[in-house]
Amino acid sequence: MVADTQDQGSKCTCPSRKFPCKHAIALMWLFVEDAAPFQDADSPAWVSDWMGRRRTGAASAASKGAGETRSLDAAREVTVEAPLDPTAQARREAAAAKRAEETRRSVRAATDDLDGWIADQLRTGLSGFLSEPGERCRSIAARLVDAKAATLASRVDEMPSRLLALPPEERIDGAIAEFGKLALLTRAWRAAPDDPDLRRDVIAAESRDEVLANADAPRVTSLWEVLGERVLTRRDGLVSQATWLMNLAPDAKQRFALLLDFFPVSAGRRAAAFVFGERFTAELAFYPAAAPLRSVIVKRDGSTDAPGAWPDAAADPFADLAEQALATPWRIETPVLLPERRLCVEASGHGWWREIDGVAIPLRGAPPTLAVGATLECAAGVWDGARLSLIAARTNWGRLGFDA
Amino acid sequence: MHELEAALAQIRAAWIAGRPALDHCPADWRGIVTGKHPEVALASLAGHATSVLFRTAPSTSLKPRPLLPALALPVMAEVLRPRFRRILIAQKDGFSVERPLIDLIAARGYCMHPADWMPSPRDDWAPDLYAPWLDWVRAETKVEPACTALSIDTYERWSWAERRAALAHLRNADPAAALTIIAAKAASEPAERRLRLLEILDIKLAETDAAFLEKLATDRSERVQAIARTYLARLGRPLHTDDLATELGGMVEWGRVGLIHRRTRLVIKPLKTPVQSARRHELFRLVSLGDLARALGVSETRLVEAPPDGAADGIDAFVQMVATTGSDAAWRALLDGILANASCPIGCLRALAPRLSAAERRAILAKIIARDDEGLGTTLAVAGRQLGLVPLSVLQAAPAYASLRSLLESAGNGADTRRPPDNARLAAALNRIGLLLDAPGAAEMAARVASWGLSPADPKFDLLHLNAALATETIS
Repeated sequence: MVADTQDQGSKCTCPSRKFPCKHAIALMWLFVEDAAPFQDADSPAWVSDWMGRRRTGAASAASKGAGETRSLDAAREVTVEAPLDPTAQARREAAAAKRAEETRRSVRAATDDLDGWIADQLRTGLSGFLSEPGERCRSIAARLVDAKAATLASRVDEMPSRLLALPPEERIDGAIAEFGKLALLTRAWRAAPDDPDLRRDVIAAESRDEVLANADAPRVTSLWEVLGERVLTRRDGLVSQATWLMNLAPDAKQRFALLLDFFPVSAGRRAAAFVFGERFTAELAFYPAAAPLRSVIVKRDGSTDAPGAWPDAAADPFADLAEQALATPWRIETPVLLPERRLCVEASGHGWWREIDGVAIPLRGAPPTLAVGATLECAAGVWDGARLSLIAARTNWGRLGFDA
Repeated sequence: MHELEAALAQIRAAWIAGRPALDHCPADWRGIVTGKHPEVALASLAGHATSVLFRTAPSTSLKPRPLLPALALPVMAEVLRPRFRRILIAQKDGFSVERPLIDLIAARGYCMHPADWMPSPRDDWAPDLYAPWLDWVRAETKVEPACTALSIDTYERWSWAERRAALAHLRNADPAAALTIIAAKAASEPAERRLRLLEILDIKLAETDAAFLEKLATDRSERVQAIARTYLARLGRPLHTDDLATELGGMVEWGRVGLIHRRTRLVIKPLKTPVQSARRHELFRLVSLGDLARALGVSETRLVEAPPDGAADGIDAFVQMVATTGSDAAWRALLDGILANASCPIGCLRALAPRLSAAERRAILAKIIARDDEGLGTTLAVAGRQLGLVPLSVLQAAPAYASLRSLLESAGNGADTRRPPDNARLAAALNRIGLLLDAPGAAEMAARVASWGLSPADPKFDLLHLNAALATETIS
């Protein structure tokens, strides 16, 4: 977090949409009360980045324009909350249960419609579907949104971009796989609508506070490394910022963690919340799931320079992936840790992760030049059933990040 | 497996065309492909089977490329790499620092990390240090390691970039040996590379090169012919452009100039029309200095004894002509004349700079800095690869130093730097200073600029800080 003492501009890595956020205010407060601990030192790189991008004076101009006089008196006022009325509380809980039941009913009807829609696409021919996937998916996605199946709607809405990222000859298989996963997901949800993992994939994810309060949410305290992040602008106007962490403990059961954040496109470009390659000890709470992945940070210590190799990868990581696919066959992406190999590039520019026995895994996008000339001692990536998206690797040239 | 594969292919073909696919359902699956939408259930199984059992295969056999070779110098410290990357990103909006920055880092004894910077196949300007990487990105493999001494016999065993670097080194140490190799092998190279080989002869060009250069008059490439002609002109051979030289002689004057200190010199007066100016410019490019001197009836050295006077574009074209076709004596005389004459625009030196040796560049930098009123652009051009050497005491005499200080102080503690033109100017000035100063000077300069009002966290300091930190690494 940084605050500019000249014009009170500030920047924080927290996802708050309030500006300045509470952390920046706290920092300024500390500075005003006692500036002694704020000694001169080299500025971190991200602070200089921020300084270079911002327009100086903008914040002060905005505050002058507002013409407000701020006072601490309002903040010091004590608000007394009325005690909870047991009857009202019971009424509120009953209403919530009723709303949940209505949502379930509505989503169930929408998933039936989704199955019918998939059957229609197969019946009218996949060639036709692939000639206008955007329009067709948008129509059923709107239906799912109306029925409050927001996550499922978003997944359907993003399907065309996933399909069109594939080479033309693979799009038919891609469409069949997508339809199949959707059908498996809706069938599984209908069988267990209260399962938190399935509810998250169909309706909506729990809030951070709900995860932290959930006793069933697995918690893992370990040394984590920030592998990288992927920022995607979705069709619904939200930007998803996915940060991948890897557990560096040698025998960790929970190897990967995914921190997901969403913000509106109108909020502008947001700097990475972490420095890639950074290592820190933290306690993570995972969203309950058959194969937990998404998580939130409960408590985090400062970054550490602790040296250490990455954990060993399985000799055949794709065998593990097949097992994971049986547990949650509707999942689109699965992280994977890969053993030492080389990358190759075809004359057409397509990249491959090459196994010793000659079997090759296709990469999404062309690898960076250096990656082709380096030995990947260990690599972390995401497998989506068709392509491997590498996130980071340990190479004979040190750590190498892949632009995701 | 083959039966399943065949069934999946039939299912796929049916769905492409919009036909029912249940008839092609494998026998094992029939029991579970039920319900209101059996085709959807079949899609679940078919999709899962396809993604788990089958993977895309490459169209050709894959062969890993050779590993990127390590370079002779150590890689720049890890802690400095983010700053370097930020400088490269920032330069996209203004003054390009990529080449001088790579040179500065090489001059301090470090090479880049390949994840931060690698030469592209066309980056012939890269320091010789990067020759192995240039060969790698061009996918040129050597038959043997480059430890073998370069000779006519071992010429083919060297990859192109390393061979060129070795030839340049040899030309400095033993010009005749380098000439022998180039003369023997140039004909077997394609035109572009032939040209690059000939450029090596620019180092210590001497009369002994003339015989080989004269043979190139009939070379297949016009560019090779042209460069050979200019080298021959520098050695005093006429270009046989007498008619053009006479025409050019009519567009300039050779006479006495000045009211008090009258001196004979070349006067290049402004012409009446742009067409005439363009023609004169073209003639300066085609005619050699020797031919022009003959057309004017004076000797070559006499013609450049005093810097020319007149129109700025004409003076630039003349200086360029001297740089390209003037003998060493004429080139030296003009260089000394410009340095000695404070009224002569210092920017003219940019054209003469490529023929300066490293020691000569270092020797004249202080004089140029004191007169460079073009934001140190001329100083950088003359410095070439002699970067990071100027003490702060020398820079203090530069007009650029005073203008930077006044720019910052007049901006009122940095509040005015949001205006793009000033911001860009400030960034360019700080970058150029950061490239020129020695390490202690860079550290001191950063402190001074901060005291003039620029925020210490401003990324415009990056190059100064990088410069200072690189020296620290070397000393440790």
